[in-house]
Amino acid sequence: MEWPERGAVPQGPGFAFVAERTAVKDESLPIIQIRNCLLVSIQTELHDRLALGLQESLMERVRSADAKGVILDVSAVEVIDSYITRILNDIGKSVRFMGAECYIVGIRPAVAMTLIEMGVELDSVHTALNLDLALEKLELLQS
Amino acid sequence: MKTVETEVGAILAGTISAITQRSIFNRLGGLAARPIQQLTPQDRLAIMTELESSVRLFARRNSTELIASCAQALSGGPAPSAGGTGAGSASSAGPSGDGIGATKRLAIDQEKDIATARLEAWSEAVRIGLSKFTSVKVATAVSELARNIVFYGGKGYVELKSTRDDRGPTLQIVASDKGPGIEPRKLEEIWAGTYKSQRGMGKGLVAVKKLVDDFHLDTGPGGRGTTVTCLFRGER
Repeated sequence: MEWPERGAVPQGPGFAFVAERTAVKDESLPIIQIRNCLLVSIQTELHDRLALGLQESLMERVRSADAKGVILDVSAVEVIDSYITRILNDIGKSVRFMGAECYIVGIRPAVAMTLIEMGVELDSVHTALNLDLALEKLELLQS
Repeated sequence: MKTVETEVGAILAGTISAITQRSIFNRLGGLAARPIQQLTPQDRLAIMTELESSVRLFARRNSTELIASCAQALSGGPAPSAGGTGAGSASSAGPSGDGIGATKRLAIDQEKDIATARLEAWSEAVRIGLSKFTSVKVATAVSELARNIVFYGGKGYVELKSTRDDRGPTLQIVASDKGPGIEPRKLEEIWAGTYKSQRGMGKGLVAVKKLVDDFHLDTGPGGRGTTVTCLFRGER
């Protein structure tokens, strides 16, 4: 039995679990719900497929959970280029269309300065220093 | 003998617990016990890829500095801010002693190569002594350029060339592909900021131009492809 190339989903009965795991690993990021707010921590490379999948599942979850806010934690992201910015803006816009607010938290200082120098705007999302402050701004910490 | 485990362990000590370190080294497999001097570039890349995600996950703070220190230690250079001034004798690599003057070429072919190129560029920038902020700029620029190759050029390469001028270390980045090139009309729109691409913001090239100290673009149809040459200077 040959092991397939990296990235390819292996076929055959013995590989069912691998296929499943690969699909989960490749296609989705975990979405955590805190009260009526959805939280995603971005720890991997955001590529086209992953970003689209995230956008879709977030919109589904916003609807099913009556979410008021979506928080994307990017504190583990070392580099944000114009493409990632576009993805974040797109997610922000779609979440806003659903009537919720989108917060980006944990942008690193060097990343922020680089974005400014590049002249790239993050204008379809709100930002907050950390998760706590984003929850506060969403008024989820008071009740 | 300096092995990956002893050198990286010394850097992580105090930030990441011994048990967690153990599991990180276990994941590296045979590479952990390899002497630093015997590492190939592929080994280094494999180790750094693994280390980067682990350190980010487990280090509460300073993960960026830790990763940079690890990259520096693996390249055989002096461990930064370690305190000791143990003379490196004949162990330093490269003709100039500090490893500056090296050229690294990375093939760009598919989406995962973007992340690899970015990481390599970033650790190269740190290695030759560019500031932390400049290193993030280098990584961002390489990310944009590599993305352009994957999205529009198909296949190509990114080359990192470190040199030194009178003010300090510099890093030249060449991103080249043999794709269709950029049409003159499209190029005008790009520089005017009115171009919107299907997949990106249409702002990648403009962003890179703003980030770098020196920028040159050569593009055209008929097998000429697109080559971007840019330069980062250390701030001294």
